[in-house]
Amino acid sequence: MEALHQFGLALGALLTPTSVFHVAWATLLGIFVGSLPGLTATMGVALLTTLTYTMERDAAILVLICMYVGAIYGGSRSAILLNIPGTPASAATSLDGFPLAQRGEAGYAMGLATAGSAFGTLVGILLLVMLAPPLAAIAFDFGSFEFFWLAVFGIVISGQLTGGVTPLKGYIAGLLGLMVAMIGSEGIHAHVRFNLGMDPLNGGIGLIPAMVGAFGFAEVLTVMYRRKAELAEKKADRVLPKLVDLFKYKFTILRSGVIGTLVGIIPGVGEDIGAWASYAAARRTSREKDRFGNGSKEGLTAAETGNSAVVPGALIPALTLAVPGSAPAAVLIAALFLHGIRPGPMIMIEQPTFIYSVAAMLVLATLAILIYGLSLTRLFILVLRIPRELLMPVVFTLCVIGPYALTQRVFDIWVMVVFGLIGFVLRQMNYPMAPLVLGIILGALLDKSLRRGLTLTDGDLTPFFTRPISALFVVIIVLSIVAGLKPVRQAFARLGRSDGERTDV
Amino acid sequence: MRFDSAVADRVTAFVLFALGAAMTWGGFVMDRLEVRQIHPASIPGLVPMILGVAMMLCAVLLTLNADKIERTELETGSWSSFAFSALWSCFFAIVLVSRIPFAAATAIYVAGFAGWFLLPDTPAANRWKKALLILGFGVITAIAVSTLFRYGFLVRLP
Repeated sequence: MEALHQFGLALGALLTPTSVFHVAWATLLGIFVGSLPGLTATMGVALLTTLTYTMERDAAILVLICMYVGAIYGGSRSAILLNIPGTPASAATSLDGFPLAQRGEAGYAMGLATAGSAFGTLVGILLLVMLAPPLAAIAFDFGSFEFFWLAVFGIVISGQLTGGVTPLKGYIAGLLGLMVAMIGSEGIHAHVRFNLGMDPLNGGIGLIPAMVGAFGFAEVLTVMYRRKAELAEKKADRVLPKLVDLFKYKFTILRSGVIGTLVGIIPGVGEDIGAWASYAAARRTSREKDRFGNGSKEGLTAAETGNSAVVPGALIPALTLAVPGSAPAAVLIAALFLHGIRPGPMIMIEQPTFIYSVAAMLVLATLAILIYGLSLTRLFILVLRIPRELLMPVVFTLCVIGPYALTQRVFDIWVMVVFGLIGFVLRQMNYPMAPLVLGIILGALLDKSLRRGLTLTDGDLTPFFTRPISALFVVIIVLSIVAGLKPVRQAFARLGRSDGERTDV
Repeated sequence: MRFDSAVADRVTAFVLFALGAAMTWGGFVMDRLEVRQIHPASIPGLVPMILGVAMMLCAVLLTLNADKIERTELETGSWSSFAFSALWSCFFAIVLVSRIPFAAATAIYVAGFAGWFLLPDTPAANRWKKALLILGFGVITAIAVSTLFRYGFLVRLP
């Protein structure tokens, strides 16, 4: 009840003309960014972070959250109309959204995606308000030992779940991120490591230039490399989802919302996995399994609900543990620090109402996507017609000036370029980007926690394995790695198949 | 060129192994700050050494599994478009920016980028008109971005 009261107060405080104006433009911009293939939510949030530097704290966070929610939702537009997910989060959406568009039901598919996204975010917000305060309380028991394993857990689980065909590439991406984090002055003795003789590296690699490069410049190159896509829109149809459809899929919406939020809580996993997990769960329990992949409205609803629910879910560990649940949440953490908010276990002490403010911001962003999604369908189709040859150089110009604006160092532009080129090559080789980003974020935490823990125990490793929460982390990490081994995965797949056959009979 | 292949994975594994070895060695020879009498378990090179060893291990596993990794269907695209985009963008970011005024660099970059891709497909009769439009687009973008950052966000442009 107290949580509801705090949430109501936060929502009331946000209902000012200025805040509503920020919600209106930032969510609309987010939907545009998400709907354009090549512009991702991470890139949008990273670029906007550089633009909100001079804004007042709450307004800046509101703008970034609206961009995040809008971009994740906006990805469904191009997934439905072009069969190209605007963001990776909408990959599952295109499976059923595009066939629906080809059948002349593009408008209805977009309406259903809008409703799914809105409900998914609302389920996630509810869980955020319920779970974040107790999680922050649990995190008070975390010492160096637990934080070390939390960092390792983040890298392992993120590598495992985003690695695609092999977790090994996910682990390598995570290790590369951790190695990048080793550059510059370390956090205990302020000793400069691996600066390669370059003074600008003494402070380490900036997260924003690295993210803008890996998600911005690399996307520009990927878009220009790809073939041009064609719009599937044929004729205007109804956009407003039928209530009977929404009622029919009520359990799918609820289940996908919960799955998406839980996936969001897992460090560095992100919206795409949330969408796929929700989609798979919906398919498994659906009475219309054969329609999945051929224009299933239930599949589309599940995917969109799942990916949107990840947004509030990803903010739960980001706010309470300073460990991002997704790549855009990683940028949000950097933005929070920029604006003087210290995410982590102390947040409920230092900023007791902040979590409720974030929940209120998410509600406003959800309302905005609902309004825009159901009313501006034609406008979004026009946006998709902007030639990439005009859009991409503008995006790259922002990639250049954005990181520079934060520090006024030309060196950060070079960092962005290097990370962009490396990011493009890694993507082409099927290395996931999320563990890389998580590695850069968690590197300092892992490094300091291990050395602090060893100093406390005079070099004894035992507490790393015997303290209850540490032991739990160790068990989960070992199980995750074992589950990623090919023979184990094959055994699970065989088990799943035989289970499915029994169910079908 | 095929990036996602067994050969590419082996080459990457070699590079990653070298990187891991370099980091391990770098961590090993790193100053242990004995002068400051720090605890031996908190030496700055400890985690880099561990990460280096982990990377070498992953590189070996990548080499051993290179033939067994399932390959997804490759997305086809234009390497020439990629090459121009990469080179022109790098030229803008590394050479033009900070050597000439940012607005001028942006106008040249945007107009050059759009012109390279859009002009060849334009019929000869309309080419001059389109070139002028693209130039105008470049100039307007440059003015808009520079004004926004210079006067909106008070950034001293490079």
